[in-house]
Amino acid sequence: MSEVRAAEVLSLCDISSGYGAVSVVKSVTLSIRPGEIVALLGKNGMGKSTLLKTILRLIPLRGGVIHVGGVDQAHLTPARMIAWGLSYVPQEQALFQDLTIRDNLRLAVRSDGELGAALDHAFGYFPFLRERLKQKAGTLSGGEQKMLILARALMLRPRLLLIDEISEGLQPSVVDRIVGVLRDERSRDRTAMLVVEQNLDFALRIADRWAVLKMGEIDDEGSCGQNAHARVLEHLSL
Amino acid sequence: MLLLLDILTTAAILFVVSVGLLAIFGVLKIVNFAHGAWLTIGAYCAVVAVKLGLNPWAGLPIAFVAGALLGGVAELLIIRPLYRRPLDAILATWGLGIVIGQLIALAFGRDVQLIPNLMSGTVRVLSVDYSVYRLFMLFAALAIGVLFALTIEGTRLGLSARAVIMNETLARSLGIDTDRVRLATFMIGAGLAALAGVLLTPLTSVDPNMGVAWLIGAFMLVMVADTSYLALAAACLVFGGAQVLVSTFVSPVLGGISVAVLAALLLRINPRGFSRA
Amino acid sequence: MPEDTALLNGRPASTTALEWRAPAAAALVAALIVWISPLVLGAFAANVLTRSMLYATLAVTVDLLWGFTGILTFGQAAFFGVGAYATAMTMTSLGSTPAWMAAALALAIVLPMVLGLVVGWLSFYHGSTPLYASVISLVFPIVVTQLVYSGGLLTGSSSGLVGYDTLPLDLEGFFRLSGLVMVAVTLAAWVFVRSDAGKLLVAVRDNDVRCAYLGVSPRRVQITLTVALAGVAGVAGFLFAHASGVVAPENTGFLFGTQVVIWVALGGRGSLLGPVFATLAIDYLSASLSGDLPFLWQLVLGAAFVIIIIFLPDGVAGLARRASASIFRSSKQTRVPRIALAAPHSAVERSATLLKVSGLARSFGSLSVLENINLEIRPGELVSIVGPNGAGKTTLIRCLSDGSEPFKGVVEIGGKPMKGLTPDRVVALGVGRKFQVASIFESLTVAECLRLARTTSETPSGIGSAPRLSLPVASIEILRLTGLIDLIASPAGLLSHGMKQALELGMVLALEPRLILLDEPTAGLTKAERATIGTVLRHLTAEAGYAIILVEHDLDFVREISSRVVVLHQGRLVLDGAVDDVVNSETVRTIYSGGGHV
Repeated sequence: MSEVRAAEVLSLCDISSGYGAVSVVKSVTLSIRPGEIVALLGKNGMGKSTLLKTILRLIPLRGGVIHVGGVDQAHLTPARMIAWGLSYVPQEQALFQDLTIRDNLRLAVRSDGELGAALDHAFGYFPFLRERLKQKAGTLSGGEQKMLILARALMLRPRLLLIDEISEGLQPSVVDRIVGVLRDERSRDRTAMLVVEQNLDFALRIADRWAVLKMGEIDDEGSCGQNAHARVLEHLSL
Repeated sequence: MLLLLDILTTAAILFVVSVGLLAIFGVLKIVNFAHGAWLTIGAYCAVVAVKLGLNPWAGLPIAFVAGALLGGVAELLIIRPLYRRPLDAILATWGLGIVIGQLIALAFGRDVQLIPNLMSGTVRVLSVDYSVYRLFMLFAALAIGVLFALTIEGTRLGLSARAVIMNETLARSLGIDTDRVRLATFMIGAGLAALAGVLLTPLTSVDPNMGVAWLIGAFMLVMVADTSYLALAAACLVFGGAQVLVSTFVSPVLGGISVAVLAALLLRINPRGFSRA
Repeated sequence: MPEDTALLNGRPASTTALEWRAPAAAALVAALIVWISPLVLGAFAANVLTRSMLYATLAVTVDLLWGFTGILTFGQAAFFGVGAYATAMTMTSLGSTPAWMAAALALAIVLPMVLGLVVGWLSFYHGSTPLYASVISLVFPIVVTQLVYSGGLLTGSSSGLVGYDTLPLDLEGFFRLSGLVMVAVTLAAWVFVRSDAGKLLVAVRDNDVRCAYLGVSPRRVQITLTVALAGVAGVAGFLFAHASGVVAPENTGFLFGTQVVIWVALGGRGSLLGPVFATLAIDYLSASLSGDLPFLWQLVLGAAFVIIIIFLPDGVAGLARRASASIFRSSKQTRVPRIALAAPHSAVERSATLLKVSGLARSFGSLSVLENINLEIRPGELVSIVGPNGAGKTTLIRCLSDGSEPFKGVVEIGGKPMKGLTPDRVVALGVGRKFQVASIFESLTVAECLRLARTTSETPSGIGSAPRLSLPVASIEILRLTGLIDLIASPAGLLSHGMKQALELGMVLALEPRLILLDEPTAGLTKAERATIGTVLRHLTAEAGYAIILVEHDLDFVREISSRVVVLHQGRLVLDGAVDDVVNSETVRTIYSGGGHV
């Protein structure tokens, strides 16, 4: 298994984690190769956000092993993983509302020297940010904030992008734009992505593979093809 | 006029004494009850400087460095383990303050230390003779305030510190080493406290327990100011002014408690500072 | 349906007697030791220990406040000092006849209690934080000390008061009096913390929000305790004034207050005996050291204090407890009460509207979370509120249960508006709330948690533990169906996640609320556990006439048990109707599969 692991950007082996007495993620095995986009779907409370936070070490791992870039995550800190090329788009409280756009972006780069190049990359995707650098992040609209968060995550040309429900509350036009940006990023830099979503349409548009998380375990998975939509809908069905 | 100068200089002195505590409270979200001990450490650094035959002003850099280094040790050994227990952190830092006070007493003796004033004499200001040193404190407070502001608004560390103050989890998920930010902040706060201790030497007697008297006032001002140094400056003016007025027109003894009492009442009505603690 | 009144045979009556015998015997032995000691101790030791024992009494009060109730207080010293000064000032300025002595005692009790009321009102209010309470407890002694300093001849200023007439007792007499008071106070505290009412202290410490939602105002508990213990501290101060013959500002100051906290911490907070022994030992040792040693001693104490706080928060008593537990395989039997059926509250009028919400709106700054919510709920309805994340469901529940939430619009429960009422008063209107994350008292047993839930129906005893625990039928059913009934002696903190949820539900049902608010009750439960909860909920509405509002994500569960479904989307009520209509509607599909965003 270790040979495969070296080629994988992310490898989750029977992992479990949770809060207090509750095990939210019970047993998840998943791996992602460079350039691959995997959609993680599931209803609320099934453990999707918890999974992402566990990968980033914001929540301690209780069982199993995680390899990020071939290295056992137990030996890495969030800072090291981010330096390697991990980027995270949180679902909530993702921006410093009282700081300017520039400062929000600045906090994501390691040193101010790297800021210029990183900003250019960000503006390439979302030019509207260029004129608004001095604006406080809290004054942006919901859609603009999401775009800022995505820009911040993409700025450093990550190898692995973890996205938590970015399409929530967004207009279809903005969603389209994000789809374009993510596709672009993948084809240019072979960025791998783990996209957590409740929005089925959006998820299946960009993903290569999908997996459904139910009660902390992967219930079903497959490639995005003709019948993917129907199959997933069955799992999320009302 | 005299009253105005008293108010301004009292506010300045309170600011200098409290600003280190503010930095620590804002970023680490704990109240450092050893703050008084660090004031004392600073004052004794001035004593050491004089004993070594140096210019008394040399005490300033010595105190800042010594305070910062000792602060680093304290953060690693005492504060870090109590990250999730803020009330216990108050107690542990209080205990630390006791230990430091006793160590200083053992090393230097219990008696008051006499050292030459950094500055002495009076100067004529607008028809009033006023203490040169107290006027100097006005400039010292301004200088420290400006430096502090520049650090927090202009440097990377300052930005990271502000990020940690606002949302530590988000800061971590962006790759910021929050442990290092906390350590650096504590060291700077402790260094500032020691610095303030040196600046206090012409104003108060230097003995192993001198810092305790300033602790409560500083602590209440920081609670009112929450994380903003501008709010701290305002609080020092308002409450310092109240202290002077009460001391002058009512009684000096009651003046001494006016900062604490007024701050406690204000916080009861508007608990800004406590919503995070 | 249980018809029997005793479902679980409790322990035999002899256990209750045992509860009394051990501490009473210990107290008797201690009293005897106190009585005999002056005959063997030298004058110096007797003098010091007299003072130490009064300090130990004070330490017990601090332990009750801090160790049991979670209030870190530096202020007990001030109440002690006020008592001492009241006594000395009366003796000095008013006279020392027996009548004046009695008056001094009365003053030494009443004055601190009045001050305790002021301090309590300042420190404990809806939304106050423990840090603020500690801050007030720091400022208060400083104020008292400064008032003493500025008191001139009346208070003796910095020199204190001395030379007043004291009680006509000799050294041995004062020793015995102080010692007996110490034993009496410690015994009373011991009995109290083991009684049902005493568990309230731990409940407030562990989870004051849950207390409020059980109808018990945590603020009232904290203030009452502060006032009562201020009186006790005052008595100690009275005795101190007489025994030592001198009172000084140091007896009121915050340095003294911090010393008491240090003794309690070293002895072991929450153990009562630990602080007593620690105070006696440390105070006596401190007084006995001479030369330069006292300063070294302070250093050692300070260092020990820091180490204990970081590594041994339970103090020496905690160490002793762990050591004895491993040696004796301690059978610390907690009494298990017998569970009985409680007579139900008056029947609910079926037709009346139980909950009426008109134009409810809630915003955080410019972000509007709830907009124009209108809802009416009658007894017997099981209404599920569904909607994607961020739709405002939990905010809605909060507005329905906590009147101090700044919402707009009107919410009426049983016709009474609840705006502005704190949660404990909303509970009194007949509302019970179950939280998403099980909100129970981790340090208490299941039985004790359930008993606390019955506080508003049956006032808990302050002396012992009632042998019988009356619960309404719904609670008992939950206990039986989930198997929790076999675990009622188990500490709640050790229960599994599903069991904790069941316990919380049992506690909420014990309130016999007409309206139950449940926030994701099935989160993290197994299929079997869900089925159980579903059965109970359905039964409650269908037969017992309760109304239930349920926030849920599990749409299967919703479909099975609800009588009505309400859909919340982006803060607005989008649909409200019968289960099948709503669940199969196009709107819900779109919302949940990601389309339909604004």
